Amino acid sequence: MKKIISTALFTIAFCIGSSELSAQCNSESFANACIPKLSGGFNFLKSYKVDGVQKDKVEFSYVFTKGTQYMLNVCGGGGATDGIVVSIWDKDRNKVASSKINGQVVSAIAFPCNATGIYYIQYTFETPLAHCGGSALGFKKG
Amino acid sequence: MANFKAMRIFIVGALLLFLVSCSPEKKPDDQEFLKSLEATQEKTGVDEEVINSILDQIPSPLEISVLLKESGSKFDGSLLNHSDNLSKYNSNFKKALNLGVFGTDLGYINIYGQNQEGLKYISSVKSLADDLNLGQFFDIETIGRLIANSKNLDSLLLLTTLNFNHINHYLQTEGRDNLSVLLLTGGWIEAMQITCQVAAKKPSQELFEKIGEQKIVLEQIQLLFSFYKDDSTMAGLLKDIEQLKSAYDKISITYTYKESTMQIVNGVAVIKDNSSTTIDITEQHVAEIRNITNAIRTKIIN
Repeated sequence: MKKIISTALFTIAFCIGSSELSAQCNSESFANACIPKLSGGFNFLKSYKVDGVQKDKVEFSYVFTKGTQYMLNVCGGGGATDGIVVSIWDKDRNKVASSKINGQVVSAIAFPCNATGIYYIQYTFETPLAHCGGSALGFKKG
Repeated sequence: MANFKAMRIFIVGALLLFLVSCSPEKKPDDQEFLKSLEATQEKTGVDEEVINSILDQIPSPLEISVLLKESGSKFDGSLLNHSDNLSKYNSNFKKALNLGVFGTDLGYINIYGQNQEGLKYISSVKSLADDLNLGQFFDIETIGRLIANSKNLDSLLLLTTLNFNHINHYLQTEGRDNLSVLLLTGGWIEAMQITCQVAAKKPSQELFEKIGEQKIVLEQIQLLFSFYKDDSTMAGLLKDIEQLKSAYDKISITYTYKESTMQIVNGVAVIKDNSSTTIDITEQHVAEIRNITNAIRTKIIN
């Protein structure tokens, strides 16, 4: 009897524990919250879930087009960005844009693309325990 | 003793019930959807994460529609697929491709604010999505309401973009990324066809370059199709894509990196991109690309 009860309790605790673990980062709600924050005139393209729990960085890629201006914003818990930095790298891994300039982190990048190609959108984390957020990408003619 | 047995049955039952409730929810629609997929659409054996990351980097056809409108090109409904063609699409292969085609057409129509046309196309999109058990992603009433009022253009674009993003995400998480590849390819071919036709009527260097730089996207689409080369349904389209790629091989794109300059303006990091691309493309190249694109598009929509 004792064995059954303890197995039951263990399984229940495991289920609750694992559901809490997956709910640690609700990046989808941050990503959705970021969409209306795109500046006026920008058409929404994509939202990104930035789930960096137990990771140093989160990365996506996208083909940016010459003559188009892109806006990438970041939403996190606590503060506006919660220490999440977004940067854009070209196909050869040269940095072309960052939301951290001279030590100051801002919540959006305006990137008027002048060279069509595959780019990497990378999210890194300045605050040790805040690795969760969302982001939205919009565009308008440059 | 009887009490002990009853207690034991109760605990085991409660445990089973709890375990069932812990498992991920599976909607009845999911089962139907999986059953409805064609037998030829087998798993590729390739890491789905790789396929999904390539799928995610393909640009939205909406970008080209905005460029066309802002370059002064007038709306031309004759460039689009006809909703009468809907009855021709009997396989999931054709339905997914043409869901992409109609999706691009709908984006083009919305950008130009052609509301009445939009109503016809949204019903075509909804019909194909329903057939693929993806209809739940389109709230036709809300979209219809937004179409009825031209002031709602931004909301309409946002909602339709979100719907297509949700479909792609759903297909990828369901492991049916082959349908996502078809949806995306249909949409891209339609955007290419519209751009090539506009460039034929009103040639400009800007449009030629726009067509030329699609080489980068085509390479990604070709890569996606290469994962399905053993799938007889996909192989035919891969051949067509390879033919288009041969035409694109005559075009060169040169990239030059130069460090960007960045400054913060009103809380936004404003970038000056000092890198550049040079696209070497002639009117002859564009004509060849247009002919092949039209041939592929004709196969898709008929």
